[in-house]
Amino acid sequence: MIKKLIISVMILFGFSTVTIADVKIGNPMARTGPIPELVKPMSAAVDLAVEHVNDQGGLFSDGQKYIAVKVDSACDPVAAVDAVTKLVNVEVVTGIVGPVCSGATIAQAESVSIPAGVVTLSVSASSPAISEMESNTDLVFRTAASDAYQGIALAELAMSKGLKEIAVSYANDDYNAAIAGVFTKAFTSMGGKITGNEAHEPNKASYRSEVNTLGAGSNNLALFAYYGSSGITIMRNAMETGAFENFIGADGMLAQEVIDQLGAENLGNVTFTTSASDSSTDAFKSWKKHADAANVPASDPFVPNSYDAAFLMALAIEKAGSADRSKIAAALREVANGPGEKIYPGEWKKAKGIIASGGSIDYVGAAGPQDFDKNGDVAGLFSKNTVVDGKWKSVVIK
Amino acid sequence: MDIILGYFLYGMSLLTVGGIYALLALGLNVQWGFAGLFNAGIAGFAAIGAYTYAILTTAESKFHYGGLELPLLVGDVMAMVLAGFIAGVIGLICIRLRADYLAIATIGIAEIIKLVLKNESDITNGPRGINKIPRTWEHFSEERFYSSFPLNVINSSDSWQIFFESIARWWWQPFFAGTIILIVLLTYFLLEKLRTSPWGRMMTAIRENEMAAAAAGKDVTRRRIEAFILGALIMGLAGAFLGQHLRLIEPTQTFDPSKMTFLVWVMLIAGGSGNNKGAILGAFLIWFVWSSSELVTNGMIEILASIFDSVDISILKNRAGFIRMLFIGLLLQIILQRYPKGILPEKRPAVSGKI
Repeated sequence: MIKKLIISVMILFGFSTVTIADVKIGNPMARTGPIPELVKPMSAAVDLAVEHVNDQGGLFSDGQKYIAVKVDSACDPVAAVDAVTKLVNVEVVTGIVGPVCSGATIAQAESVSIPAGVVTLSVSASSPAISEMESNTDLVFRTAASDAYQGIALAELAMSKGLKEIAVSYANDDYNAAIAGVFTKAFTSMGGKITGNEAHEPNKASYRSEVNTLGAGSNNLALFAYYGSSGITIMRNAMETGAFENFIGADGMLAQEVIDQLGAENLGNVTFTTSASDSSTDAFKSWKKHADAANVPASDPFVPNSYDAAFLMALAIEKAGSADRSKIAAALREVANGPGEKIYPGEWKKAKGIIASGGSIDYVGAAGPQDFDKNGDVAGLFSKNTVVDGKWKSVVIK
Repeated sequence: MDIILGYFLYGMSLLTVGGIYALLALGLNVQWGFAGLFNAGIAGFAAIGAYTYAILTTAESKFHYGGLELPLLVGDVMAMVLAGFIAGVIGLICIRLRADYLAIATIGIAEIIKLVLKNESDITNGPRGINKIPRTWEHFSEERFYSSFPLNVINSSDSWQIFFESIARWWWQPFFAGTIILIVLLTYFLLEKLRTSPWGRMMTAIRENEMAAAAAGKDVTRRRIEAFILGALIMGLAGAFLGQHLRLIEPTQTFDPSKMTFLVWVMLIAGGSGNNKGAILGAFLIWFVWSSSELVTNGMIEILASIFDSVDISILKNRAGFIRMLFIGLLLQIILQRYPKGILPEKRPAVSGKI
């Protein structure tokens, strides 16, 4: 009995190493933990990119299969380090497309993937600290813009709306605290005045005291929070007490539930920004067509970024000509930054043909042009969202 | 060859994390297993250790207070000292509380520690945490370490650089894992000595019948504070090593009480509380199963997919994390049903072999 058990466990462990001729990448996303619902469509977008690669000829001249090994990083440094250790050592992946949360991304990169010399291409980690993480290596990239950019975009938006004074309230978590920090800095340097700046702990039943304190200084509130844990409550408290008239904020607040709970008629003076894709570009149209056909929500947060990351990783591996880890970083810069023939989402066959004939390509992604700067960051596009007819209407900020 | 090396390195990582949890479980064993103190604030003491180590040893950063760049050993020792000191202060105030009240107090204290770390963002970088924490052994291949004492005495920094570039990138992994295992063993032997000493027997007496022990002239409060501090010292050291292993610490996820505190309790109870061997066994067992179960569930899904090729496995793959949690829960139920006192129950009376 025990012998049988041991043998079957060994088979299970060994199973992943049987198909040695395929090229594997790791996909550690936060499948459990605080944001599984957000991650589900992102993971589907990675699957779609993998499917495109495999359906249109696979990798290299012998058509090797492109496989994304899925593990769970749970948005938690401990879990992410453990998951990526397995990917790097046991699954022997060529590159990593994933971690979702910034803390998990930094931890797994510094603890595991950088020491092992494996490229990490994050799809949604937005912490400014990631830009300055590496000293002598070039191994961490991301297809989502740093918070630094969105904070500045929001400050510009506030200025253009004529808000000269503003109070800032942010949820005390890694994402919202950082974006609030960037916003305050940018807004002050543009000549605006911050009348109050306070962190709040999420998941409290009432925020009346916070709202009253901040409301004494200004009629305008910049709110950085997740709608579910504190955002809606703060807005409700603010409306009940009449402390604020105008609200601006970032993507944590962007959800239909905000409208459903607070009522569209009360949200006339509310504008939230989010990282967005310019839907008028050819690249986005190409992405939308494929995403709709595969039933993947094309415009959901970080979904196009996830597709871009998985597709770019495949292009880089093809360009490098082998699954050799050490060549991926340089190849990734070549295929993403160009110059070369423009490649849009879904055009694997075309890209493969050009690379095979020795030409160069420049991938233009679903979420943006995806050109990496020296830190491995991309510039982001943002949209402003207002309530029109009971729904969020998004306009890209040019 | 690559595959064998891969499994070897994964094994090293299992030993590293298992060892860190073993230290935490040993610390808890002193408090709960020896003295019967219900500490529900393990994450708090580990956090103090990790943050102390990180702030003392990291290079200067614009994100947090630091740049002290002290030797790593100083960081380790100070992590223990500070965790022990805070445990002492807490002990003076609330050690007289009975078990369940002490539990509530420690939950609150862990939460206070977490919130302080989260909000003193000038020092700790708040919720974004501290990164680039130097890891024992691996740190030698960083420039600021090989260009300073003691390595600069042996060789010039240029030749160190050439040396570290010439050896395998993973060279430090066995050393780091070995160091942690060594510390676990050392802690184990010291605690075993303590357990079988008069102090250990007195702790058992206090745990079993506080009033009888007091009537026999034992200073119950003082002894309990001693056990509380000793446990916290070990937890602080474990925290310092956890920070080194992760290289990034942040208060919300890493030191989430519902995860870390709970997990260590499970390890101690499953392994056998009151038994130091049990604490170590429980920590390694639970962590091995937890970590490797991901490979097993992924393999199982692959097998399922190859048997039923009409099934869409992408849904299963997204749900694998939850299936895994279910398995672990089930396993714990079985262990606790089968071994209600833990796999290695406490051996009593705690008398030394030498009479």
